[in-house]
Amino acid sequence: MSDLARRHLLGAGAAFLGALDASLAQAQQPSPRRGGALVYAQMSGNRRGGDASNSRHPYYMVDLITRSAYNTLAWVDEELKLQLELATRIAPADDTLKVWEVTIREGVRFHDGRMMTAGDVAASFELHRRRNFASAQIQRTEVVNPTTIRFHLDAGNSEFPFVLAEYDCVVMPANPDFERIGMEGIGTGPFRITSNDPQRRMTFERFEDYWRQGFPYLDRLEVVNREGQTEAALAGYRARQFDAMLNIDPRLIRQMEREPQTDLVAAASGDQAVIILPKHPGSAFNDARIRRALSAAIDREGLVRIVYGGTRWGWVGNDSHLAAADPMFVAPERPRDLALARRLLAEAGHPNGITLPTLYYAPQWPEMARYFQFIQESVREAGITLPIEERPNDGYQRFRMGELDVSRGNWHKFAYTAVGPRNPGISLFRMRPANNESGYWSGPAADRYMALYARAMLTAEAAARRAIYAEMQAILREEAPAILPAGRNNVLIKRNTVHNLRNHPQHWSIRWDDVYRSA
Amino acid sequence: MIALILRRGALSLVTLFLLASFIFFATEVLPGDALDVSLSADEIANMPAEVMARRKAELGLDRPILERYWGFLGGLLRFDLGRTIITRAPVGEIIAMPLRNSVALAGVTLLLALPVALAIAMAAAQAKGRAVDNAVSGAAIIGYSIPEFVTGLLLIAVFAVWWPLFPATITASTNDPLGVLLAAAPLAIATTIIGSVAYLGRILRVGLIEVMAADFVERLHLSGIPRWRIIWLHALPAAMIPGLSAAALYAASLVSGVVVVEMVFAYPGIGAELVRAVTRREVHVVQAIALAAAICVVLFNLLADLGIAALDPRTRR
Repeated sequence: MSDLARRHLLGAGAAFLGALDASLAQAQQPSPRRGGALVYAQMSGNRRGGDASNSRHPYYMVDLITRSAYNTLAWVDEELKLQLELATRIAPADDTLKVWEVTIREGVRFHDGRMMTAGDVAASFELHRRRNFASAQIQRTEVVNPTTIRFHLDAGNSEFPFVLAEYDCVVMPANPDFERIGMEGIGTGPFRITSNDPQRRMTFERFEDYWRQGFPYLDRLEVVNREGQTEAALAGYRARQFDAMLNIDPRLIRQMEREPQTDLVAAASGDQAVIILPKHPGSAFNDARIRRALSAAIDREGLVRIVYGGTRWGWVGNDSHLAAADPMFVAPERPRDLALARRLLAEAGHPNGITLPTLYYAPQWPEMARYFQFIQESVREAGITLPIEERPNDGYQRFRMGELDVSRGNWHKFAYTAVGPRNPGISLFRMRPANNESGYWSGPAADRYMALYARAMLTAEAAARRAIYAEMQAILREEAPAILPAGRNNVLIKRNTVHNLRNHPQHWSIRWDDVYRSA
Repeated sequence: MIALILRRGALSLVTLFLLASFIFFATEVLPGDALDVSLSADEIANMPAEVMARRKAELGLDRPILERYWGFLGGLLRFDLGRTIITRAPVGEIIAMPLRNSVALAGVTLLLALPVALAIAMAAAQAKGRAVDNAVSGAAIIGYSIPEFVTGLLLIAVFAVWWPLFPATITASTNDPLGVLLAAAPLAIATTIIGSVAYLGRILRVGLIEVMAADFVERLHLSGIPRWRIIWLHALPAAMIPGLSAAALYAASLVSGVVVVEMVFAYPGIGAELVRAVTRREVHVVQAIALAAAICVVLFNLLADLGIAALDPRTRR
């Protein structure tokens, strides 16, 4: 890396840390009221919760809003900008961007009273790097001193701090048996877990020794899982059992806009659907023309209009994992092109149309059945017959991924999964060939894509990365290794007596520290 | 009476054995085994025969049918209901608490519904053909005819939303103490009670009317015995005999059949667990719940038979 680039990086880092301090100072403004309880219903199915027998573990919490009980080294705010959380400094150790040094906050206690050390961070990441896709790049951790830890990566990564903000990457007490880490549900977060019923309910109480002094405001927090039970959740809200409902069905928005004493809080962005196109032997999706034909046949604008009620609540995707709200996102020029779809099908030997295998989906979001019914109808106009089948949320991930073991006959499926918005580095890395979400895409275009990704990761300046990211998105539009037709803006409803409950494009990143309620 | 208990008990065991066998053969032998139903159509179409064979072996589906059958029965005797296909969790652990919750809901429903149904039936029977009887009979028909989900939603609308006295949806945990769970479920209990009172009230009313018209009641009247004694000591026990059988069957159906109520109110019972198991294609869980329902039917029938025998000595022969 040149001196100039290094100066840019360090300058950006200094500005970044200054902004973080200011932000934290602002976040620590005292609030007018302390005490009370808040109960919220969660409407989206956690695809991993269905397999959970211990929802205290951060990987299996009932709704993945892990930040109620846990903290990470960094946090992504509502504008998807990085903020420090348990770290006070994150910086590259050298120009290669392969080694990152993190200074951890002092005086942080776990719920069991122990002080957090760099050893706990290292132990936690021993678990994460084996389990979390974004942390897999961490080759090893090195405890420099009780408050400093180094992360050694397999390659340079200019956006590595965002990995430390991933919801899985919470800090937990060390345990000699790293498989046991997290099982007790002990974190450093604002609330301590008091009870858990996997897939159904969790209760929390305020952690008096929380490192953000004076926070949280609430005495108790409770989350009730009501996935697939919109009417029950709505009745509970109207009966004043719930103070808030997260991730509501978009069809409820108009109705809830008229609900008395209720606020609708929309996030700037939200999850989108990935349609995974498997490329195992014999799959129709080995042919890029068929993939592109399917992509071109989907009426994305109609999808946003019909399923989400317009662009206020939904957005058109571009077959990459980037959300439309991301400054690096390149909007598709022609979201739908039926003539192109028909031509590509004809070139692929299907002039009279094609019948695709069954597309499986789970109702992870309340609107998914309508979403895929609409897609099924819209692609029919291009001569594509698309059978669809709903599967339960429980066990869905294992069902669609086939335990990643083809030798056992467990092929991954032509199926949907949901992805949330992240920084471009993590988002675009998800289309890597060795990932289920790309359908194990391969070939020259995939190689070119990964070469660009590697270059972006070694490029410290965000402006320079933008051009690379644009090129990567163009490859995805051309190749369509997977299809990402449209996404949602997350919507929550809450009583107007609940304050500071801010919605988040990453529904798992909502914070509860600052939430309080008036009388 | 002891001989009767032994005889009925033995008959119940035979019935249970036959039911368990039926459940096994219905779910394991008919086309589509536990593996087939947990795979997608594409998977079955594409999976090589040797891979399919290996996966069947992992689930023990490659063993001869009789061997599996004896294994199934042996497991039942050891209270081992097998493991789930997806998570390999013990089925017994999965259904234990939901079953407890459903039995509690059914028990509370019966405890509350029986006296109310009895009181209504007696009032109607005594006023046969008059306004009270017509009103009670009409209300019973309406109460019995309205689907439980409609009753439940009406109760939610009135007593949770418009007049917020009770919770609309149950947020208590599956493992919460029964007191906590039932205290959170007044509308779910009320929904099942309304249907139960209507059903049991009609049966008891008919029984009482028939008994009150019987010769022996007329003779008791002519003997100068007070009416209240005739009703409580003579007519009611006789009228209870057909009612008991109906109540037993109804109680059994309450344990396994309150799926709708459990879904409307998010009550963590066996009905909701059954729905989940069916959607997940968890054959062993479905088998276990079917077996639990069968045990409830047999057990409640046994209790009803013994109750009838206690009330009517002629049936002891």
